[in-house]
Amino acid sequence: MRVWASTLGGFARSRLVRRVLRDYELGLMSYGDVEKVLLEASSAVIGVQVASGLAYVNDGMLDWHDIFRPFVESWRNVTPTGLLRFFDNNFFYRIPRFTGLPEPSRLVWAPRVRKFAPIAEPSGFKVVLPGPVTFALMSSNESGYSLEELSEAIAKLLAGEARAAVEAGASMVQIDEPTLADPEASRDSAVLAAELSSRIASASGPAKTLLALYFDVPRADVYEELLNSKVQCLSLDLIDAPERALKLLASKGFGGHCAVLGLVNSRAVHDDPIDRLSSIAEEALKDYGGEEAGLTTSTWLDLIPYDYSVRKARILGLLAEKLAYSRAWELVWRAG
Amino acid sequence: MAGYTIPTKFPTTIVGSYPKMPQAEEAIKRRKSGEIGEEEFLELVKPAVREVVNDYLWAGVDIISDGEQARDDMVVYFAERLKGYGRGDWVRVFDNVYFKKPIVTGKVEWLRPMILDHWEYATSINMGRPVKAIITGPYTMVEWSFDIHYGDRRELVLDLARVIRRELEELVRRGAKYVQVDEPALSTRPWREDAELLKEALDIVFKGLDAKRIVHICFGRLERVMPYILDYPVDQFDLEMKNSNFRLLPYLKEYGYNKELGFGVVDVHTHQVESVKEIEEAIDKLMKMDIVGPEKTYIKPDCGLKRQQRETARLKLKNMVEAAKKAREKW
Repeated sequence: MRVWASTLGGFARSRLVRRVLRDYELGLMSYGDVEKVLLEASSAVIGVQVASGLAYVNDGMLDWHDIFRPFVESWRNVTPTGLLRFFDNNFFYRIPRFTGLPEPSRLVWAPRVRKFAPIAEPSGFKVVLPGPVTFALMSSNESGYSLEELSEAIAKLLAGEARAAVEAGASMVQIDEPTLADPEASRDSAVLAAELSSRIASASGPAKTLLALYFDVPRADVYEELLNSKVQCLSLDLIDAPERALKLLASKGFGGHCAVLGLVNSRAVHDDPIDRLSSIAEEALKDYGGEEAGLTTSTWLDLIPYDYSVRKARILGLLAEKLAYSRAWELVWRAG
Repeated sequence: MAGYTIPTKFPTTIVGSYPKMPQAEEAIKRRKSGEIGEEEFLELVKPAVREVVNDYLWAGVDIISDGEQARDDMVVYFAERLKGYGRGDWVRVFDNVYFKKPIVTGKVEWLRPMILDHWEYATSINMGRPVKAIITGPYTMVEWSFDIHYGDRRELVLDLARVIRRELEELVRRGAKYVQVDEPALSTRPWREDAELLKEALDIVFKGLDAKRIVHICFGRLERVMPYILDYPVDQFDLEMKNSNFRLLPYLKEYGYNKELGFGVVDVHTHQVESVKEIEEAIDKLMKMDIVGPEKTYIKPDCGLKRQQRETARLKLKNMVEAAKKAREKW
């Protein structure tokens, strides 16, 4: 089994990035100057990931104020409004308010992919999209359309994003649906998320596609529906509640998807105990028959300080090496 | 309180923080750089506390605070004054706004009073109005810190509860009649086990304390844990309502809420000043639902006003007080 690793998403901002974004907001710096700093800072976090041996890397999404914002700012009929807590974090996102079905003004990812994918070599470049159901559920829907219609319209634009990103050189498209891991998520939402993530996956051409669930463990009935998604890979947070996650996997497995395990705790700053994580991974993959498995962080890396986000990427790389080595050794031993 | 009578219906109050005055900003900066020590710092912040108290008096708020002028952040301030905490690093709260998330590196212990000095100062210039003693709660301290020492959340929460208890004992001994513990983090992890952990902690914090005991919780999905928090050892829940469009009210009704209610009628996340009429309507809404009566309802903003411009904060409070006055005539 091939083991690869990739952080789940954005990095924390370095002191320099925080400062230039603040100066830009205060009108003390032009966006051109900010872009230069962002290019250097993004290249640095890409370098960290590549050097850590991660197979798919991202640009850190350093200029994103939250997962929805760049899309909200690139679409018509939606605006960022008041703050609301983002799941159980001491972090707030701005609630998107839809006053009609969204229409694109510009692409978010394709220009970034063109800029950063060449820097990412030999690793593949990953783009991250907010899942359409999470997007709709966490927005204020004043569009006059139903939640389902709004989700479908969002999915259509996100599929366009995925298609353009892959054409520009992206190797992986990740679709984040954290609301589906919430214990109150409905089965209907899961059915919709499976359908819409499948549409985005089919627009992603040859790129690997991943449906990411984090911050908690989905209920079994919700997870069962999500297994119908046509994405190639499925990631689960195995750290927030390991027992529940392992129980879910023992009963439902990965449904033929490539397994991606959220093992490195990206909401804590202590060094992750590699041996313990390895045994959780072994347990999660016990009955897994796939040819490859991915390792990832429990969520994005932007909820911890910058230094630690860099360190966590390195820990993830170490964990992947350890696991790949132990699996390889097992195969040699069995063959012998 | 001698010299001031709190209205029996709809007393007005605040949650705690207020826009930072320049004197406080400057003093915090100088203390952080090591230029001044704690004693001089506290002295330098006092003019800021006076300005805040003057604003409260101008607006007519009944139960006031020191405006938390000394606190650069609700967790960091205490972490810097407790044994067991190490220096943290910047973590984003929203947009490009950050706080220095502290790290627990050893057993947490109380060293000396942390909020007493400014509570006493505000009390000395309060024109008889009671001053709430307000402190960040143990659960929130833990949730908004990193821990590399305990590795056991419950143990850390309960140790911090003992620390906070020690601080509040000191305040009550000096005459504090209203003590408030801020626990905004509970609504971020609205699970039964977390609600029960906080109850255990609040038992330690409040047991036998001779003062009005208040817990402030805001934002998030508090309705999820409503059944598990109603027997907390507190006299009053101080809740955010306006920002979430009073979504919690039907739940309070459903669960037979019967404690005092700190009713949030001013949104602290918008710079728009709520009109007197808008606030009156909010109070009417609560009264019509017949959850608690006017005697058990405290009118206040959703949360601390620290992110507002001072003038906006003043006007929001002024209108709030005006609306409470009108409501007293009506209900």
